[in-house]
Amino acid sequence: MSSEHQDGGVWLDRALGAAAALLLFCLMAVTTVDVIGRYILNWPLRGGFEITELLLLTLIFAGLPLVSRADEHVTMDFIDAAFGERGRRVIRRIVDIVCGVIILALAWRVYVKAGKIAGYGDTTDILLIPVAPFVYFMALMVAITGIVHLVKAALPGAYRDDNKPFDPDKAGTT
Amino acid sequence: MTEALVGLGLMMVLALLRIPIAFSMGVVGFLGVAYLRDWNFAPAMAMVETKIYETGRNYTLSVIPLFILMGNFVSRAGMSKELFRAAYTFVGHLRGGLAMAAIVACAGFSAICGSSIATAATMAKVAYPAMKDIGYSDRLSTGAIASGGTLGILIPPSTLMVIYGVMTETNIGKMFAAGILPGILATVLLCIAVQWTVWRDPDSGPRGERSTWSQRLRAAEGVWAVVLLFVLVMGGIYGGIFTTTEGAGIGAFGAFCIAVSRRALTWRTLLDALVESGRTTAMLFVILTGALMFAEFVNYTTMPDDLKHLVTAFNLSPIMVITAICIIYVLLGTAMEELSMILLTVPVFFPLVVHLGFDPIWFGILVVVVVEIGLISPPVGMNLFVLKALLPNVSTTTLFLGVLPFVIADIIRLGILIAFPSISLWLPSMMR
Repeated sequence: MSSEHQDGGVWLDRALGAAAALLLFCLMAVTTVDVIGRYILNWPLRGGFEITELLLLTLIFAGLPLVSRADEHVTMDFIDAAFGERGRRVIRRIVDIVCGVIILALAWRVYVKAGKIAGYGDTTDILLIPVAPFVYFMALMVAITGIVHLVKAALPGAYRDDNKPFDPDKAGTT
Repeated sequence: MTEALVGLGLMMVLALLRIPIAFSMGVVGFLGVAYLRDWNFAPAMAMVETKIYETGRNYTLSVIPLFILMGNFVSRAGMSKELFRAAYTFVGHLRGGLAMAAIVACAGFSAICGSSIATAATMAKVAYPAMKDIGYSDRLSTGAIASGGTLGILIPPSTLMVIYGVMTETNIGKMFAAGILPGILATVLLCIAVQWTVWRDPDSGPRGERSTWSQRLRAAEGVWAVVLLFVLVMGGIYGGIFTTTEGAGIGAFGAFCIAVSRRALTWRTLLDALVESGRTTAMLFVILTGALMFAEFVNYTTMPDDLKHLVTAFNLSPIMVITAICIIYVLLGTAMEELSMILLTVPVFFPLVVHLGFDPIWFGILVVVVVEIGLISPPVGMNLFVLKALLPNVSTTTLFLGVLPFVIADIIRLGILIAFPSISLWLPSMMR
């Protein structure tokens, strides 16, 4: 049972990782083509602004479950010092349940928002791309993120790699 | 003001219970907005929906993944080696010269990378072994690399400046321009800290070999790609040729081309760089969205106004207020994670700072500098953790003691930047 879930998680990492990589590469390519087209060839990319905006939105929300899977949310861990190994696991389980519930509630609100946007039939200004499917995608990804937290809380071996080495190779945010 | 303070307290409690800071801020923001409307949850829910949707669909924010990607490409391209080599040929023969070369090379790397952590990590791999070889003390070498690495967020591009710009609606291009002169000042002061260390203990930083001018010129040629990328991206943004987003796109693409031309990218590393950048972006957006929800609540409370009245009532001079804010930041920075410290406090302090007539760009530079100090001040300093992870043989005590002269140099720099705002504001004032 447990390994089945783990496989599901690995599959999720691969699929969303590939999607995020592709989206980010496209984001870079679209901006570059837009600039070169405009200044060198005098031939701007039509609706480049809108494509960038929607690519960014998709990228962020495709990346969201990955962040939760990798436990990369910024957290203060002072409390860890006060507890032993078992206490720490209990705390993390509770935190994951709380996060899962909060995130599923968010997914519900984003789903409601998507319904409203679909209701007015909102599209982008130039390319007339309908916006609602993207917002439904947001809701789906937020829901998956919530489920990732709940599955983690339910799985027995979820917190075993607690002391995973710090990866210094990443261009972080600060 | 009470409700804002209760909110802040509750947020800290949740965060200390290990709830991710983004969700702690978001939950408090949501409850706070509902409370201010007499526990009517409809506006609070609408606020949450809008914040998530608007942060996600925001053209300006596309600079963030692109600059992060650029940083991930240049770190993998191994350009730190040439930068260190070039700096070494110029100052390596001086006492403490290799430590100064590491700092100058960090400054150079910062010009194409917006992350302090990545700058420190990449330089540690090149500069630490070189210093170890000729008998540098671990204190001096790690202190120089950790502090030099912090330049990553001061010298543009800078992820932190983008976040500050988005939160306060300050022009990001001008923020970038404002970072250049303080970055040069920082480099000089850190080199002085190296000199002070070797003056106290001459054995800690022995001289390297003197290079000839032809060696220097050849080494300088090796860094042309870094110079070109910086001039293209920052020159383009500064000169108004393209927007910040376009600059970031060109920067990422340029870094990609450099990495490919140096054969530093396999399919595997390309995929890693892209996925990691994507994940960091998503993480950052979560915490930014949470912070914006929290800020929405704080803005509805009387706290921003109360702070203004407090300053008037106690007859505090504006410069005293700024100094006090900076002292609070430096103290908080020793223990708190810096990004969340900024996201949490900027909504509270920013209206006050603007009310006192200060330039938002100048305050932004001060914020970046206090974060730099936080990154290297024990016990909780990200750059120290990076070095600890990369150099497991160096003890934590050595790291903490080694960085102290550099922390002092940084605090002196903060004082200079407070006293002379024109160092930060002169370059942006020339922009259109």
